[in-house]
Amino acid sequence: MLISNIKSRPVYERLAIDGAGRRHLVLSDAPRPLGEVIDGTESAGAPLAYWVVAGTSAVDGQPQTGPAGNAAEVETRAFRAAAHLFDRLTHRLGQETVGLRLYAVGEEGFIWEVAKLARAAGLETEECRTAHAGSLRRRVFCVHCKTITEGVTTSLAACAGCGAQLVVRDHFSRSHAAFMGVQADAEAPGDLPPVEELFP
Amino acid sequence: MMAQTIALRVAAVTPLSPTLKAFTFVPAAGGLVPPSGPGAHLRLFLRDGAKLHKNAYSLIANPADRSHLSIIVRRVAASKGGSAFLHEQVGEGDVIEAGLPANLFPVTRTARRHLMVSGGIGVTPFLAYIAAFAAEGTPWQLHHFCRPDEREVFAALLAPYAGGSLHIHCDGTLDGLDAALRRQPLGTHLYTCGPESLMGAVLGQAQALGWPKVRLHSESFGGAVAGGEPFIAVLKRSGIEVAVDAETGLLDAIEAAGVEAPCLCRGGACGQCLIEVADGVPEHRDHFLDAEERASNRFIMTCVSRSRTPRLVLDL
Ligand code: FES
Repeated sequence: MLISNIKSRPVYERLAIDGAGRRHLVLSDAPRPLGEVIDGTESAGAPLAYWVVAGTSAVDGQPQTGPAGNAAEVETRAFRAAAHLFDRLTHRLGQETVGLRLYAVGEEGFIWEVAKLARAAGLETEECRTAHAGSLRRRVFCVHCKTITEGVTTSLAACAGCGAQLVVRDHFSRSHAAFMGVQADAEAPGDLPPVEELFP
Repeated sequence: MMAQTIALRVAAVTPLSPTLKAFTFVPAAGGLVPPSGPGAHLRLFLRDGAKLHKNAYSLIANPADRSHLSIIVRRVAASKGGSAFLHEQVGEGDVIEAGLPANLFPVTRTARRHLMVSGGIGVTPFLAYIAAFAAEGTPWQLHHFCRPDEREVFAALLAPYAGGSLHIHCDGTLDGLDAALRRQPLGTHLYTCGPESLMGAVLGQAQALGWPKVRLHSESFGGAVAGGEPFIAVLKRSGIEVAVDAETGLLDAIEAAGVEAPCLCRGGACGQCLIEVADGVPEHRDHFLDAEERASNRFIMTCVSRSRTPRLVLDL
């Protein structure tokens, strides 16, 4: 059996503002209305920033301030690409103090990269919450050559590093923020199972 | 069930103030002292005539140095117990039986930085913390709160680590803490040790400023208040009644009556001293039972808790 029934795939709940936080930073890997991403912003009672990957060059990454619902002001920033957002995030976390709450919503690759940066900056899991949104496509870590192949939607995929045909397993590695991929035809070269679109 | 013990010889007794004395121990049989970590404590079995006092004290020396163990003991004003015995009757050369060092207040290994808040003699575990942090180069900050007349004593104890990270406050308020709590970089953990009231206030202030519980650590031991309303503890299995006066803790009173009771930290943290309550309502002062267990009134941690009812019937 090539696809095991290991279920280490993380389970996500809908995000809600943690009222105990003194500052909130919400990240999304695609433009989405804030209220769609997270509950409780109207009663946040603490400064809130919303950073979004716009995926277009027509944004400048500068903060825009505007009222959100009732009380708190929301500072919104749009970034050209995820890499740009991660840069700013690393910088911001380096200057932050205890009291911050971080939230990330998006595809698995995005939210796990955020979780990794948060951990590296010293945030505890309780201070960084994530939720899945968008495509189910997977980041796949080749256990043979250690290359990560992005955007895999099928049960079988060619490794971007060594070219092996990898079976995408359900085994999720938090440290690599990726699913494990194991060579499909290791025992009988060329003997491949049918390819299925599993992670649209 | 007796834990493993070692015989320690008192190598030095150093008076620090009229009520504080430092004791240094070496193994009576020679060699190295048993290993411990920052925050560990030592239980001493003090034979005072027919009485046996079992007291725990935080170790203050750098745990990496295994040549000796050191503690500081405050003589409690109305004490008839271990601290008075140590102050009055223990001198250099005496041999004392002790348990192996145990740690109920360890340093969080994943923390990037450590913020410590102590009150009075509650600074003792932090002396070992700071020695370890200084040796490893881990960033730290200590806010110590004490009475003005003891400022010099604590300043002298902390002098080897004096510098920007050390703040001694004697104004009787926690005002000096607010700015520090607001300014800690991500990755900081907070530890507090001292009287219940101080620790409660520190933890409350930190939570109000957005510190999640995982970053907060407290050690009640050494700071726990024994006193309260007097009551009668009825020991069902031993068939005796023990009068617990306003000054004495329940566990101490049980032991003074000659009944063996389980215990370890004597500070409401470890859970060892849990006893079932057959009748009466306990006044819970521990950090061990959860809300449900408390509400059920079926258990009591004898080391710190007392009784709300005039009689408390224990399964002991
Ligand atoms: S002896 Fe540790 S909780 Fe009572």
